[in-house]
Amino acid sequence: MPTLFWFLGVAIATPGLALPVVTIQNGKPVTAQEAILIKDFSDRIKAYVALQKKLEASLPGLKSSNDSAEIASHAHTLRVMIIEARPNLQQGNIFTPELSTYFKSTIRKTFQEPGSQVVRRTVQESDLPKPIVVRVNGVYPDESPLITTPPTLLNRLPELPKELTYRILGRTFVLLDNKTNLIVDFLPDAIP
Amino acid sequence: MPDTRRFLRSTLTLLCLSLVVHGQQLKLPVHSGSVRLAAIGDMGSGTTRQYELAGMMNSFHEKFPFDFVVMLGDNIYGGNTSTDFKNKFELPYKMLLDQGVKFYASLGNHDNAAIEKAYKPFNMNGQQYYTFKKGNVQFFALDSNYMDPKELAWLTRELQNSGADWKICFFHHPLYSSAGYHGSSLELRQILEPLFVQQGVQVVLAGHDHVYERIKAQKGIYYFVAGSGGELRRGDLRKTGLTEVGYDQDQVFLSLEISGDELDFQAVSRVGKTVDAGSIHRNPKAKGGLTTEQRESLAN
Repeated sequence: MPTLFWFLGVAIATPGLALPVVTIQNGKPVTAQEAILIKDFSDRIKAYVALQKKLEASLPGLKSSNDSAEIASHAHTLRVMIIEARPNLQQGNIFTPELSTYFKSTIRKTFQEPGSQVVRRTVQESDLPKPIVVRVNGVYPDESPLITTPPTLLNRLPELPKELTYRILGRTFVLLDNKTNLIVDFLPDAIP
Repeated sequence: MPDTRRFLRSTLTLLCLSLVVHGQQLKLPVHSGSVRLAAIGDMGSGTTRQYELAGMMNSFHEKFPFDFVVMLGDNIYGGNTSTDFKNKFELPYKMLLDQGVKFYASLGNHDNAAIEKAYKPFNMNGQQYYTFKKGNVQFFALDSNYMDPKELAWLTRELQNSGADWKICFFHHPLYSSAGYHGSSLELRQILEPLFVQQGVQVVLAGHDHVYERIKAQKGIYYFVAGSGGELRRGDLRKTGLTEVGYDQDQVFLSLEISGDELDFQAVSRVGKTVDAGSIHRNPKAKGGLTTEQRESLAN
C-alpha cells in the first residue's frame, strides 16, 4: 500500500509524466493525460447539450403526441435552430486533433485486439446504410438503417448524455444528436 | 384514395381470413385473468402481406382476446412522415387499436428513435428502453441498437428489483438465430446472456431476422425470433442444432398467454396455419426456473 501512495504522489507532483492509472472516470481507470482529454470532450458535449436545451426551451413543449407529423415538425424546427446557432462549423468542432487521436486509438484497439471478431461482426451483420455524404450539420437520413454501435466500444468511450449517441457509418465515426438526427461532428477513417 | 382502397381490400381479405381462422384450432388455454399478448417484429413495411397478417391477428383476437402487442423493432420502415405512420401502423392495426389493444414498441435498426419514442401509440413515454408490468409478468423493452453502460446498469437494477414471477425481455437483435441473413448477435449475447441468467429472465423475444424461430432453451432461457410480422425472407432459415421449431415460408405472429407458472404460446401464419405451439413451465421455487447454483454456473 505505501508503494501505491508513493506512486500516486509522484504522479501528482510530476506534471506531464505518463503514468498508467491515476484516476477513475465513468467508473473506468484512465491516465492523467486521458483524464484531461475526457474533461475537454465532456465540456464540449455539455456546451452542445446546453445549447440544444436552451433552443428547445423556446419552442412549444412537446413530450409526446398521437401525431407523428407534430413530433417530426418539432425535431425539424429544433434542427434548423441548432444549425443556425452553429453555422459554418467544420469537422473537428468537437473532435479536436488531440481528441481525434484518443478516440481513434480507442476504436482501433477495440476492433483489433484478440477476441475482437465479435465486435467487427456487430458492425458487419447490420444492414448496409445507403451511401450518404457525412458532414457537420448534415442529417442522418431516415431511410438509412442504423448500424449497432458495438457495446464493447461504448463501454470504453466517454459516456454521453441521452441527447447524443455515437454512430458508425462505414469507416466514419459519427457523433449524432438523438433528438434531431443532426450530425454534430465526425471522425473520418476511424474504423479500421 | 389509394389508402382507402388498400384499407377496403385488406378488410375484405381479413373477412376471408376470418373464415379460415374460425375453422382453426386455438392451442392456448384462455384462462381467466391470464396475461395475454401478441408479438410481432419487422412489420412496418406497409405491404399487403403486413395488412393480411394484421387481419389474421384481428381474427385470432376474437378467439384469444390479447390485451397488448409487443413490437420487436423495425416498426416503421423507410421514412417517418405521417403517411408512413398511417400506412404502416395505424391502418393495418386499426381494428385492434379500436378495440383498446395497446402496443409497446422496442426500437429496430430501421426506426427513427427521436420520433417513435415520442409517438403516443407506441407507449414508450419518451424512453428508448423501459419496463412495464402486467399481472405477475414484468416486461423489459431494450434498445439493442445502442447497449451502452447506462442501459446495462438500468437493466441490471430493474431486473434485481423486480418481484415479478416472470421476466420477459424484448428487443430487436436476436442473441440466437439460425437465419442466414443476420444470424445471432454474438457480442450482445456475450453481454446480455450472463445478466439474463443471473437475474432469472425466462423468455426473450427478438426480431431482425425475417423468419420465425424458437430456439432450444439456452441456459434455461427460451428465445424466440419473430421477425416476419410484415417482411419475410423466405428460405433464409438454416435449421441448426439451435432450432427447436423454425418457419420461413410466410409471415407469422406469436401469441403468448401466462397464467401462474405456465406460459403457453402459439405462432400463427398469415393464412392461419399454426406453425408452432407449446408450453413453458416455471419452477416457482427457483428464480427464473433455475436454482442458485445452476444460475451461477451458467452465468460464468
